[in-house]
Amino acid sequence: MDRRTIFTKVFEPHPASPGISRYTNAVLRTQDNKEVRFYDDLIKGKQAVINFMYADCHGACPLVTTVIKRTYRDLKDRMGKDLFFYSITIKPEDDTPAALKHYAQLRKADLPGWYFLTGDSYDIETIRFRLFGMNHPGFDLDAAMHAGTLRIINDARNTWLMVEAFASQKAILKRISWADPQKSYAERVVESRARQILINNDVKKYGYRRDV
Amino acid sequence: MPKKKAKNRQGIEKKTGGTISRRNVLKIGATAGAATVLAPSMMTSKKALAFQGSVTEPVICVTPPTSPPHTPFADDFTAPFPAIDHPLNPQPTEFANLGAGEADRAPHPRWAQFTPAHTTTELEARAGLHTFHSDFSPTYVWGFNGKYPAPTVLNKYGKPTIVRFRNSLPVNTTTFGRNEITVHLHNGHHGSESDGFAGDFFGTGFWKDNHYLNCYAGLDAFGGNGDPNEKMGSFWFHDHRAEFTLNSNVLGLNGMFIVYDKTDPGHEHPSAGSLQLPGYYGVTDFPLILVDHRFCPTENGRTEMVNAAGGDKFIVNGKIQPKMTCRRQKYRFRILNTGPTQTYDITLIKPDGSVGTIVVIATDANFLEHPIPVDDGANAGNSNSNTNPIVPGGLRVSVAERWDIIIDFAEFEAGDKVYLKERRTMFVGNPSPDPLPPGLDIGNVLMQFNVVNREPWFPKDTPPIPSTLCTYPTLPPPDTTFEWQFVRDPVGSVPRLFRINDRAFDAEVPQHCILQNTTEEWLLNNNVGGSGWTHPVHIHFEEFRTLKRFVNGVEVPVPPLHSGRKDVSRLEAGQGALIRMQFRDISGRYLIHCHNMAHEDAFMMVRWDIVPDAAAKAACDALIVEGRKEFESKVRNEEVA
Repeated sequence: MDRRTIFTKVFEPHPASPGISRYTNAVLRTQDNKEVRFYDDLIKGKQAVINFMYADCHGACPLVTTVIKRTYRDLKDRMGKDLFFYSITIKPEDDTPAALKHYAQLRKADLPGWYFLTGDSYDIETIRFRLFGMNHPGFDLDAAMHAGTLRIINDARNTWLMVEAFASQKAILKRISWADPQKSYAERVVESRARQILINNDVKKYGYRRDV
Repeated sequence: MPKKKAKNRQGIEKKTGGTISRRNVLKIGATAGAATVLAPSMMTSKKALAFQGSVTEPVICVTPPTSPPHTPFADDFTAPFPAIDHPLNPQPTEFANLGAGEADRAPHPRWAQFTPAHTTTELEARAGLHTFHSDFSPTYVWGFNGKYPAPTVLNKYGKPTIVRFRNSLPVNTTTFGRNEITVHLHNGHHGSESDGFAGDFFGTGFWKDNHYLNCYAGLDAFGGNGDPNEKMGSFWFHDHRAEFTLNSNVLGLNGMFIVYDKTDPGHEHPSAGSLQLPGYYGVTDFPLILVDHRFCPTENGRTEMVNAAGGDKFIVNGKIQPKMTCRRQKYRFRILNTGPTQTYDITLIKPDGSVGTIVVIATDANFLEHPIPVDDGANAGNSNSNTNPIVPGGLRVSVAERWDIIIDFAEFEAGDKVYLKERRTMFVGNPSPDPLPPGLDIGNVLMQFNVVNREPWFPKDTPPIPSTLCTYPTLPPPDTTFEWQFVRDPVGSVPRLFRINDRAFDAEVPQHCILQNTTEEWLLNNNVGGSGWTHPVHIHFEEFRTLKRFVNGVEVPVPPLHSGRKDVSRLEAGQGALIRMQFRDISGRYLIHCHNMAHEDAFMMVRWDIVPDAAAKAACDALIVEGRKEFESKVRNEEVA
């Protein structure tokens, strides 16, 4: 199937589950050679950060892996519980589960809640299109294009976000928090009051709201 | 509040469908009058709005279909209803009124001088239903006061105002919208806390006061209300929530905002200083708000829009291919393209199929010093559609640009039908009820003007358009220069997305710090790495002048329609612009971004700060260096302990 057909078929409905049709429910394999269904096991009801990479990449992939590792450290308490990282190879023909395991171990990234995934190349291409299709189909015609971006999903909240791996770490953490489960009004009031104190301090210090 | 009056307001809104027709305006006595008559009924907004009830969420169209067919010229072209001034309860305050439910924010600047008096209003973002065509069932939208287009705010210079934006969007939504808002007034001269900074959004249940000074820029230099030569008119307001600007604007969160002064007073009487342009809102002076959508009928009995950019129906003031009755006299249209992504190339088509003359009087809210006629004959050189695709006599309208135009229907006969044409073709599906001028395809028609003789009750034609509309302020020489590079293409080993100066949008870090009350020259450059994309670049806070334009690095004359004061600079692939602007009166965080909302949401946006003094400037510059260091350490793949 040519790439554009895949793109136009992105939102084809699935009678049983709109989620499946949006994300595909393809079978992938983790670095531990465990079979997982993309929608049912990895996306459904979860908050996840997804990037694309390949093991033999010497451009952005290792840099992004480092960024994700740092983010993992910052969000350690949530990892594997309500937050997951998925690094999906775009060269599944080279990247076997074993190869991905080696890549993860080499970079000390073989951590709970962080899956390196491989699978059928057609399935993976479909996932790439579906995850990044919202911006422009032209994006996805270039294999190098998405290595620098992280897709943030919260299926339970019907939320998709994107963040650039090279943005400030503060921005990355904030962006991931935008996909957190919807907070109650009362919780948000508490947050807002705390933020107001920081804003007031900022204005006192710099003459304008700068860092909050 | 007396219940009776609330009913009265509902009655009027119901009768007019939330929009205002020429007749209704006259009935209730022109715009200012309308506001006065209706004001008391808006006092307790919550009660007044309770009758709306809740709107059920849409059934999402999952397969982008072709929209259903529609019959051309079935609906009337009307202006959105004016927003109604009313006192706010609780009263607006300089500092955020958290106790009463306001969202956190910095204090309003220059509050003592610009304390709003009576001209305040509230706009509530909430779900609503709007009928885009009488052949269609209602469509789920997000609108201010539940309406699309939003009520038009009509303000005056010298009357500072508060618009209280209340977020009553659904807590859970199946649409692609995000229930957090931050509303930008494009392009007001006001504090950052009221500027809709993309990172300062607030969630449902909160409200936030946006303080609009309605002053001219140059408060410190000129005193009083600023420099009257900085006069602007056609503003618009829209949600600016980072990463979701396209989504919320597609859903409908935008509207027009007009500020009058004595040169442009909102009426046509020969008052002191008045240019006597067509000026009765909704009678001879209309917003012309463009957007495109794709629709599909759903099983809930509604005609829902598809959650995506790229429509096959072009919509003018909320209606598909509306018709408008025009007297044989001058009308003013304030064209606004709300995108989200497409550019319009507009021509006026006469009954014989030839291109008529559009007189442009203002570019992005600023009067031109001299009006510029555009057509494909004597004034062909003025067309700004003279780059690919070339549209002879066309007015090219990028996303977020405003073009105030005057069309003089006196040259036509009663019974003539005149058309506004767009370059692209929409799906119509039904034949035109009227024979079209030769060469005009119904799919290219935005709207139809039916020319009639003036009835005795209708305002008389205004005098000829003055040859001089205003005098531009003199821009001081620049204190410094800066370059903004708009890049999409991969350079080196790090893959690039839509970025400005190497960086994707980061609300936390500024990329440029400016000392308040200085002037800068900026090179906006879309000629880096062989860019293949068009970017309508928008700069918040003040208007700029274009000094030079470049194509592939070579200087070219500034096209007439780019020569005036503007706040959006359209940069096609390979183009650049040297602009000069001032940063006066107020410090804070502001933005420069591509206003193609898909690009904007894909990070083509940068924060820059105006800082109050040298110490703050040094601290701000240090912040940039720190941000740069972090970026470089990431690019060098350094582990952070």
